[in-house]
Amino acid sequence: MNRISSAVAGGIAGTAVMTLMLLLLEVETRSAMDVFYVIALFVGTPEDPATGFALFVGAGIVAWPLLFIALEPYLPRGPDPAARGVVFAAVLWVPFVILGRGDIAGPLLIFYVAYTLFAHVAYGFTLGAVYGRLFDQLRQRGYR
Amino acid sequence: MFETIPGIAISAAVLLLLVAFFRLRGDAPAESVSDGGYVPARAGLTTHGKPTGLTRWLTTVDHKDIGLLYILFGTGAALWGATDAMMIRTELIVPETAIWGLETYNAVFTTHGFTMLFFFVTPVFTGIANYVLPMLLGADDLAFPRVNAIAFWLLPPSLLLVRGGLITEVAGKVLAVLPVPVGALLALEPVGVGWTMYTPLSTATANQQIDVALLGLHLSGIATTMAALNFIVTIFTERADDIGWNKLDIFSWNILVMSGLVIFAFPLLGSALVLLLLDRNFGTTFFAVEGGGPILWQHLFWFFGHPEVYILVLPAFGLTSFMLPKLVGRRLFGFRFIVYSTIAIGVLSFGVWAHHMFTTGMDPRMRASFMAISLAIAIPSAIKEFNWIATMWNGRLRLTAPLLCILGIMSTFVIGGITGVFLAAVPVDFVLHDTHYVVGHFHLIVVGVIPLSMVAASYYWFPIITGRMFNRRLAKAQALLLAVGTVFTFVPLLILGYLGMPRRYGVYPAEFTTLNQAASLGAFVLALSVVLWLVNMVQSARVGPVVEDADVWNLKETGQFTREWQWFEEQLEDRQAELSRGTDGSATSD
Repeated sequence: MNRISSAVAGGIAGTAVMTLMLLLLEVETRSAMDVFYVIALFVGTPEDPATGFALFVGAGIVAWPLLFIALEPYLPRGPDPAARGVVFAAVLWVPFVILGRGDIAGPLLIFYVAYTLFAHVAYGFTLGAVYGRLFDQLRQRGYR
Repeated sequence: MFETIPGIAISAAVLLLLVAFFRLRGDAPAESVSDGGYVPARAGLTTHGKPTGLTRWLTTVDHKDIGLLYILFGTGAALWGATDAMMIRTELIVPETAIWGLETYNAVFTTHGFTMLFFFVTPVFTGIANYVLPMLLGADDLAFPRVNAIAFWLLPPSLLLVRGGLITEVAGKVLAVLPVPVGALLALEPVGVGWTMYTPLSTATANQQIDVALLGLHLSGIATTMAALNFIVTIFTERADDIGWNKLDIFSWNILVMSGLVIFAFPLLGSALVLLLLDRNFGTTFFAVEGGGPILWQHLFWFFGHPEVYILVLPAFGLTSFMLPKLVGRRLFGFRFIVYSTIAIGVLSFGVWAHHMFTTGMDPRMRASFMAISLAIAIPSAIKEFNWIATMWNGRLRLTAPLLCILGIMSTFVIGGITGVFLAAVPVDFVLHDTHYVVGHFHLIVVGVIPLSMVAASYYWFPIITGRMFNRRLAKAQALLLAVGTVFTFVPLLILGYLGMPRRYGVYPAEFTTLNQAASLGAFVLALSVVLWLVNMVQSARVGPVVEDADVWNLKETGQFTREWQWFEEQLEDRQAELSRGTDGSATSD
């Protein structure tokens, strides 16, 4: 496993955590938020949540982790990759919360904003922590 | 216009701009390492002679490992229950049902109660006791290590049963994304009858999830009882030779009394739950009007339910009494009277249950006697408060994070406790019963005392458990936010109660809006402090500074370097020896 595989492994873990959190939110709120609709809206396929979800998983596992390892040395809060992952995911959260909110308004918007930020932070933290652990472990054993 | 542009394109553009900015900046920082180059610090986590990885955690009978499992499980449940609490306060920001509708609101406050009482507080305190009790007693482990493991492993399934329908619903939600019919998976509705499960509502509501939840509660009661028996036997039989009853530390005393309460209270809950299940499914009439009547349920439930609140709070008192003298450099004032007051609370707690039922029309002479005992229980509670204050007198107060937590406990306990004295008086209870005053009263204790004591303990023993130090500045900010947030959230509820706002309602008249919004703002402060605590714990356990000197809290100078710290010191010496030998590569590159 090299740097890229480590990042993708981090992406899988992070996406799993985030998906679980969003599902929990969906179940707790009796679908008042319709998170899958939000995700579909966000990735540009509002009428097709299945495709939207597939794109969401693809981006979370491949696209964002690759971008993360490209950017990682330049992100603040180093040297811990998990802390940098949080910064990275917080940046990702901004367009998500603006574009994905759809018709949500009023008090629900506060809850939506806070919870999606928390989910993104958990994603970024897991991504960075798993990546850092796998990659550093390999590097220390001499694989480069 | 935002909706017409795919979000993914915008995020890509933003990120590309960021890449360009950092690339062109030209002062690229060095590459990172995950751990800041520290040696692994695993002083408290035993690693020798045991399986590793997942197998270790699934098969462990080590009290420290099981303690950590309990704490992690309880923390997870707490975060889940806190999500419910946030939903409640978000719904109540506006007077009308703006968000989730009343059925969801009912379900949310029900599951909030179940989760917090049965799956957050009791497991976390059991976990803390698991970890430190054998060390404080000079024992190798609890008396029955395997019973201990079984008691823990009963809890995850019971949580899933109580919060049930969730697994099926999650599965349903996943499949619903695909074009598959999922109606059957979504059939179990969350329970919405309130955590007290008052009959006839709980017998008449058709939702099958209620039966599943009752089974889950029964299972969790069995787990709690097993853990309590284990603690009692351990404290009686496993003490070191030099620890007589007069030398037993105050935390163990509180766990002992708490375990005694569990043994009398939880089997009764189990029996009552079985009766309720029989009424629901097999046509018995224990709680029907022609049988024992709805009041029978209330008697049975509160004979468990009121000792339960002391089961929850006694370990918190124990932790406070245990840590406070060490943090202010003095002996605990009136040690013996704190022990007596603990035992007195334990005994009296079984004589106060009917104060929950003053308004049900029971005999006035009964009311008077329950009022007398309810007022009397304020005396041992006050003894604790006064002795804590006296302990601080002339002490050397260093405002560390755990001491800030304890000061928060002592402040909120005054408000939370005295409001309880008012509620114990029959005429006052007639006015305030089932209003938000009651909610404010008990939350000032269950939020202002219990989690604060857990947080204080998490900071106090953090070096022992992880071998690292937490971020002290973040911890102080977090402790202050938690204490201030508690007052900010629940004092408005007291006022709302005086003004007559009933509890358990998702809608309310517009004149209560401002106070409700103040309480919700306080709840968001609490949420922030929880997040800060979580960040501090996770990050400090990963990359916090490694502890070199076991005397983190300067306990040696006041002669309070107790057994668990002596054990920690030995662990550190072992680690130093291992490092200085230098031949073992695993010490630096694990």
